[in-house]
Amino acid sequence: MIQTKNISINYGSLILKFPEINLNSGDQLLIIGNSGSGKTSLLNILGGLISPNTGTVLLNDINLMSLSKNKVDNFRGKNIGFVFQTPHFIKSLTVNENLKLSQYLISEINQSRINILLEKVGLLNLKDSNIQNLSEGEKQRISIIRALINQPSILLADEPTSALDDESCNNVIDILTNLSNENSATLIIVTHDKRLKEKFSNQIDLNDF
Amino acid sequence: MIFKLAWKNISSRPLSTGLSIVLLSSSIMVIVLATLTINQMKLKFNDNANKIDLVIGAKGSRLQLILCNVFHIDYPTGNIFMEDVEFLTKHPFVKNAVPISLGDAYQQHRIIGTNKNFISEIYNATLEKGELFNKSSEVVIGSNVAKKLNLGNSFIGSHGVGESLHEHEDFKYLVVGVLKPTGEIIDELIITPLESIWNVHHDEYKKGSFDLKTAEEHDLHQLEDDKAEHSIDKKEITALLVNYNSPRAKFSIPGIINKKNSLMSADPAIEIKQLIDLIQPAVNILYFLALFIFGLSFFSIIITLVNSMKDRKYEIVMMRVGGASMKIIFISVILEGFYIGFLGSIIGLVLGHSLMEIMASFINFKYHYKFSGLVFDQFEIVLILITILIGMIAAIFPAIVAYKFDIAKVLKNKI
Repeated sequence: MIQTKNISINYGSLILKFPEINLNSGDQLLIIGNSGSGKTSLLNILGGLISPNTGTVLLNDINLMSLSKNKVDNFRGKNIGFVFQTPHFIKSLTVNENLKLSQYLISEINQSRINILLEKVGLLNLKDSNIQNLSEGEKQRISIIRALINQPSILLADEPTSALDDESCNNVIDILTNLSNENSATLIIVTHDKRLKEKFSNQIDLNDF
Repeated sequence: MIFKLAWKNISSRPLSTGLSIVLLSSSIMVIVLATLTINQMKLKFNDNANKIDLVIGAKGSRLQLILCNVFHIDYPTGNIFMEDVEFLTKHPFVKNAVPISLGDAYQQHRIIGTNKNFISEIYNATLEKGELFNKSSEVVIGSNVAKKLNLGNSFIGSHGVGESLHEHEDFKYLVVGVLKPTGEIIDELIITPLESIWNVHHDEYKKGSFDLKTAEEHDLHQLEDDKAEHSIDKKEITALLVNYNSPRAKFSIPGIINKKNSLMSADPAIEIKQLIDLIQPAVNILYFLALFIFGLSFFSIIITLVNSMKDRKYEIVMMRVGGASMKIIFISVILEGFYIGFLGSIIGLVLGHSLMEIMASFINFKYHYKFSGLVFDQFEIVLILITILIGMIAAIFPAIVAYKFDIAKVLKNKI
């Protein structure tokens, strides 16, 4: 469950105000906005990466602003998965080791869950490959698995498809929505990618706000 | 997992990590080499020097007198007359006074003319097989000489204490005894009664071909005058090895000896201390050099890791996004320093010991002194610990750099 109220953030004299968001668990939301509209800032606020100047964010009934820095890190690790436009991994590790590290940081290593998820995105054969040898589309699929590996209740995706061609774009969106559903995670995607507009019924356009 | 991460992070950058490790291990290597050498040298010198309280020989260099007659590596200073020092054998402060006469060798092993006390009193050596010599031309050999000669073998000595083309073809030695290994220089020696040396050189006095090397200080005119007298009545020896039985001897006997014109006495412990004092500055320079390289490697680790953190900015931020606490990030970087320190010290130790072993085989071949690269010292454990600690300290600054990355700021400059 996600609830925001009156959040705004200041960049010097520029004040960005954001619409209220109310999502139940398992909901999916697309937030569209041009560059400079503050969509990444909004996502970072929702994920506890930055603090807003005003307003409150309630995630699963917990007020993010009331937590200490370390607690936010821990909360984020347990409850929120991130997917970014450019996926970054630990370059010195293999696909499998990267996923194991994500599990290790939060809970316990569970190889069968890794295998199941890899199988679902059709990349089980690349399990022991060096992460650097994967294509961008493949890396993005792995980054979705990584975001979901610890079964978070919220999945936040920042421009997950902007760098991809149409085929990869469709593929990645399908995986994002399906895996979110299967893991009953609330999904929020922010993007300027118009291709996604028709795929989500629940949308907020920051340009209109 | 975090150990694996740190390990993979340093092993995936072999060049920059390698540079730090090479620097670190070179300094460790120099420290190990210098320490092993000086320690073993002190040990060998002191072990051998402690067997003998005083050496009396012909005037010349005191150090040379000791090196020649105690360590058997330098040339003799000359000969002295037995009768000039014979009074010491009955002196109340003297426990043993053992004459030795040098001049010949067999395949780089020196032939020592002496008496049985040399074996039993000075070196406390015992027989492995055979018996002690009873007459001229019989020899007892040290355990390492036994690798070349055996009981019952006879051989010809060559003139001079080193290699020489001149052989005493008409005089054959016979091996009658082999000594047990002692770890001392006696293992390398061939021991025979004084009479053997006198007999083998007897003819040379007559021929006038007495080697000047062994009689540098000798008055040639006197040699001409009393040829027969020298070799028969006035017995010559190279040195007298003395052990005291009273601490007071230390203050009286050297004084008596040094008053005599033809004689000189030297205390092995003092000479060796002076020799080591001479070598110490060179060793200190090595230590200084090692410390300098160590300092360089400290900065190299810092630079390597800071660069690595900057390259891995996104990785680190991703770990933070994935819930890694700042503590975990900090620890994983410190672990990288730990691995570099650990590898550097272990490689340094292996290199130091290998080099020492190579050097030891050379020293052993040339001087018959057994050094070893396979001896380990407690200080090396301390060295490993200090190096690891330094590696971890060097990683603190890079770890702070990694820990301070602002997630949102790094993510903003996405590409």
